[in-house]
Amino acid sequence: MQLKSNVPEGPLAEKWDKHRFSTKLVNPANRRKYKVIVVGTGLAGASAAATLAEQGYEVSSFCIQDSPRRAHSIAAQGGINAAKNYQNDGDSIQRLFYDTIKGGDFRSREANVYRLAQVSNNIIDQCVAQGVPFAREYGGTLANRSFGGAQVSRTFYARGQTGQQLLFGAYSALSRQIKSGKVTMHTRQEMMELVLVDGQARGIVTRDIISGEIASYSADAVILATGGYGNAYFLSTNAMASNVTAAWRAHRMGAGFANPSFVQIHPTCIPVHGSYQSKLTLMSESLRNDGRVWVPKKPGDTRKPGSIPEEERDYYLENKYPSFGNLVPRDVASRNAKEQCDAGKGVGSTQLAVYLDFAEAIRRDGEATILKKYGNLFQMYEKITDSNPLHEPMMIYPAVHYTMGGLWVDYNLMTTIPGLFAIGECNFSDHGANRLGASALMQGLADGYFIIANCIADYFGSTNPDKVSSTLPQFVDARKKCQDRIQKLLRGSKNGPQGKLTVDDIHKELGILLWDHCGMARNKEGLEKALAKLPALQEKFWKDVYIPGKGKELNQSLERAGRLADFLEFAEIIIRDALAREESCGCHLREESQTEENEAKRDDVNYSHVSVWEYQGDGQEPVLHKEELTFENVTPSQRSYK
Amino acid sequence: MWFVSFVKSSIGKKWIMALSGSFLTLFLCSHAAGNATLFSSISLFQAYADQLHSHPLIISVFSKGLTLTFAVHVVTGSLLFLQNRKARNQRYKVKTRAISNSQASSTMIYSGLFILLFIVIHTSVVSFGDHGKIGVTISEMFRSFFVSMFYIIAFIGLAIHLSHGFWSMLQTFGVNHPSYNSLISRLTYIVPLFFLLIFGTIPLLFLFGMVS
Amino acid sequence: MTTKSIDLSLEIWRQKDSRTTGVFESYQLKSISADMSFLEMLDVLNEKLTREGLDPVAFDHDCREGICGMCGAVVNGIAHGPEPETTLCQLHMRHFCNGDTIVIEPFRSRAFPIRKDLIVDRSALDRIIQAGGYISVNTGGAPDGNAIPIPSATAELAMDAAACIGCGACVASCPNGAAMLFTGAKISQLSLLPQGRPERKERAMAMVSAMDKEGFGNCTNERECEAVCPKGISIRNIARMNREFVKASFFG
Ligand SMILES: Cc1cc2nc3c(=O)[nH]c(=O)nc-3n(C[C@H](O)[C@H](O)[C@H](O)COP(=O)(O)OP(=O)(O)OC[C@H]3O[C@@H](n4cnc5c(N)ncnc54)[C@H](O)[C@@H]3O)c2cc1C
Ligand code: FES
Repeated sequence: MQLKSNVPEGPLAEKWDKHRFSTKLVNPANRRKYKVIVVGTGLAGASAAATLAEQGYEVSSFCIQDSPRRAHSIAAQGGINAAKNYQNDGDSIQRLFYDTIKGGDFRSREANVYRLAQVSNNIIDQCVAQGVPFAREYGGTLANRSFGGAQVSRTFYARGQTGQQLLFGAYSALSRQIKSGKVTMHTRQEMMELVLVDGQARGIVTRDIISGEIASYSADAVILATGGYGNAYFLSTNAMASNVTAAWRAHRMGAGFANPSFVQIHPTCIPVHGSYQSKLTLMSESLRNDGRVWVPKKPGDTRKPGSIPEEERDYYLENKYPSFGNLVPRDVASRNAKEQCDAGKGVGSTQLAVYLDFAEAIRRDGEATILKKYGNLFQMYEKITDSNPLHEPMMIYPAVHYTMGGLWVDYNLMTTIPGLFAIGECNFSDHGANRLGASALMQGLADGYFIIANCIADYFGSTNPDKVSSTLPQFVDARKKCQDRIQKLLRGSKNGPQGKLTVDDIHKELGILLWDHCGMARNKEGLEKALAKLPALQEKFWKDVYIPGKGKELNQSLERAGRLADFLEFAEIIIRDALAREESCGCHLREESQTEENEAKRDDVNYSHVSVWEYQGDGQEPVLHKEELTFENVTPSQRSYK
Repeated sequence: MWFVSFVKSSIGKKWIMALSGSFLTLFLCSHAAGNATLFSSISLFQAYADQLHSHPLIISVFSKGLTLTFAVHVVTGSLLFLQNRKARNQRYKVKTRAISNSQASSTMIYSGLFILLFIVIHTSVVSFGDHGKIGVTISEMFRSFFVSMFYIIAFIGLAIHLSHGFWSMLQTFGVNHPSYNSLISRLTYIVPLFFLLIFGTIPLLFLFGMVS
Repeated sequence: MTTKSIDLSLEIWRQKDSRTTGVFESYQLKSISADMSFLEMLDVLNEKLTREGLDPVAFDHDCREGICGMCGAVVNGIAHGPEPETTLCQLHMRHFCNGDTIVIEPFRSRAFPIRKDLIVDRSALDRIIQAGGYISVNTGGAPDGNAIPIPSATAELAMDAAACIGCGACVASCPNGAAMLFTGAKISQLSLLPQGRPERKERAMAMVSAMDKEGFGNCTNERECEAVCPKGISIRNIARMNREFVKASFFG
């Protein structure tokens, strides 16, 4: 596997311009001859499909949900960053670039991140032109807030529904192209296989979720915008249908998978409250601006929070990190919460929660002020938990939230398979080992609106792929492979459910395995244990899972089983990747790699690289490749929050 | 052409209902004003009727226009009812309304048809009878308890119909704004009650022999 | 947090596919935690059915945070159930009592054919948007975001309308199966904003005619849509659409 990043030469700030000038173009009249498949209609996929269609390409767009408007991007609350410097508080492209690369703990490519910061401003303009109702100042100009610990106010937002509004913008642009006939929309179609012809990505195989029909589609290039794989952990803040299937199937066909163990765990989520729990809900990080995190000093203290006196409470973040206090970065907050719970000091019925207390803020600022800031969050919390944060401290616990890892792509967003591109959360490119708040939306839209069209033109212009049709043997084989796999999944269920397990039984087991051994803090021993346990779990799945119903019908159990089968295979490289990275970086503490003060210690000498995994066949150990990262414009510094 | 497609569109039909409804309400106003003469005396009322009928042109334009408007309102309303039944072709097993005061809106077709029945009877007796003796006709008519009751029930039906219709008309015209919504919601009670009061007291007055 | 648990009887619409007719089936569930969400309760039922070798109930869902608009069913006669401004996925079992019978039906409307059990096809809503629910700008070349100042109150009004999640509860609850709240919300959002003004007439005409073509019913101002809307979208948006449409028809 060759990892050529194809980063253009020249000064950082000029790379993108120069690159655009040097890349090949496709004559507008010729564009209609090229077909592009875009899988996914989240921010990345919808914006890419719309933009490519506007430019004249024939686009086919696919999504799992019944409408492109429902992609998981819709759930993003906080906002989107841009280096507009509208607030005149010292922001610039350079600063956004620096914050993002530093936030990623120096594990991403300089050139990609710089480009992201450069196009961030165009995104805001584009979205405003589409009618995205961003929050405004009284004078009519766009409002900003500071988000996720940033020192400048560069986050644009639309109430607590920024992702939704941005997605509706992209969806409306997509709808316009569907109307014009340039985009053919395929909803409720799940991509099951990638089809290669002569080593190039030339199509996909899909399963129609309503009828169960298997079909294939051919094209001149395939773009994956299928989002993140956080659901490998079973419980996460991701939508239920978020999966790794598309990316994993591409990986099996030869696409390198980068940094799979880089999984972000968000500190402020509503805790799990029962074994029936199906997903976790994120509470905005802004709550930590006024809430104080604490646990009882005595392990196993089951008193009500109100009856635990001040001196018996441990405000552990404030004590440990006096200068940052409750505002330490996501990973530090998450890790410490887990530590406290592991030490038996967790609260709530499951003892897997810590308090986030607003009592002092309410005393200081008054209920009205606090409600003005967090009223809707308090309401949401109360709706779910039936407890009012004004009267009782909130309970929070970390949860899997975002995956920085993904398909490896070069500067042109192309994977190691020619003609296969990956954009949005599905690729690995811009967030290194840790994503900053409000930057995933930015990246998805940057890729989709402003970057991918250039890459596609360059690819078509320089390779001029010849036409293929889905009657080729490669397509026939791929369809058969997909059908066989579905048969294989259903095979064990012929004799009924006696003595069998459900899909969720096994998914929960996988989730616990990953969470316990490959979560916020990892060590060699635990990871090896997890790796050793995995084959048995995989075997249990194929032997014992019971899937009711048939393949050729709407069968939600079968859908979930297919996704779980891929998560089970994929889990191996998550664990192997974590194992191979013997440093603490970004989101993760590798317990063997700590400073004397028990803080994360990065190892730039040995691990300043992207880990890229290559698939070797079923049952074969995957091979690790490395893309070395070089920093010419920034100097990697060690993070410290003491 | 644009007018045909407007009329055929869903919002166009709403407009027709609202427009014809508002004409009918205006007619009700003039009718109420005329009837109010009865509060003074039957002879004044008779004088008013005579005066009215001394202008046959007015009567003819008025009655034809009114019949047409009324027909449009009834036909469009019935059409909407039938189309809407088709759009919701499967019924729910449990029928619960999420809004509390939905009785008026969900029974528009029935209150409407009842009013239609009433008007057919009313016009055949009153309008096509002898105008010269209209005062006598009605005072005899209302002496019957059952006729009076029938009229009063019809007026209640009208009030119910209007209580949704009046608000609905404004909503269709696009009149919905927080700064005058409270006024509108008050009017949705006041307007129907006003008509109920004027029309409804007349049979009562006759019944209790209080008309001079 | 409460740890109360309740027993329930469920009556659920079961329909194999769009061609077959459906029937109600009854199920009993014991010890349902009051902290569960409605969909988690259905998950529990489905796990039970699966273990018994029966076909689990098919229902749509994705975000389970009340934002994607994927979930939805009519619970005891009310779309998304009894709690105001709450999607089905955000409805919690603490709003039900021990021993309750809950009748769960799919969103019913001619324009929403049932695909299986509680899953319906809402693509008609997408086609309404495709008819004109956008501002025709290509990517690139947009003026600076601050080039057109928009009063914050206008932006807020537009946001109120834009909050629609397209779940279809308005259609399901409307006695006439009308999609006016959905369509009105989009037309409102775009006609309020200066960016959307140039196309407002074409948009109103095109979207209303697409809506009519899809087989939705006519609005008779029943207000049911507003009452069940999980995002609290006001029928003021329908009033605004009426104005836009009439303006476009008469002066277009
Ligand atoms: C609760 C929450 C809050 C967040 N808040 C913020 C925030 O405030 N700011 C921020 O910047 N980021 C935030 N994020 C992160 C951000 O929302 C996501 O990273 C981003 O939206 C991902 O967009 P995407 O287009 O890459 O993928 P997605 O939006 O996940 O879209 C994936 C698409 O791919 C389709 N798909 C997937 N698999 C297949 C398949 N096999 N076949 C066919 N189609 C498939 C899906 O149907 C869907 O259309 C948040 C994330 C969560 C979970
Ligand atoms: S599942 Fe997304 S709104 Fe309910």
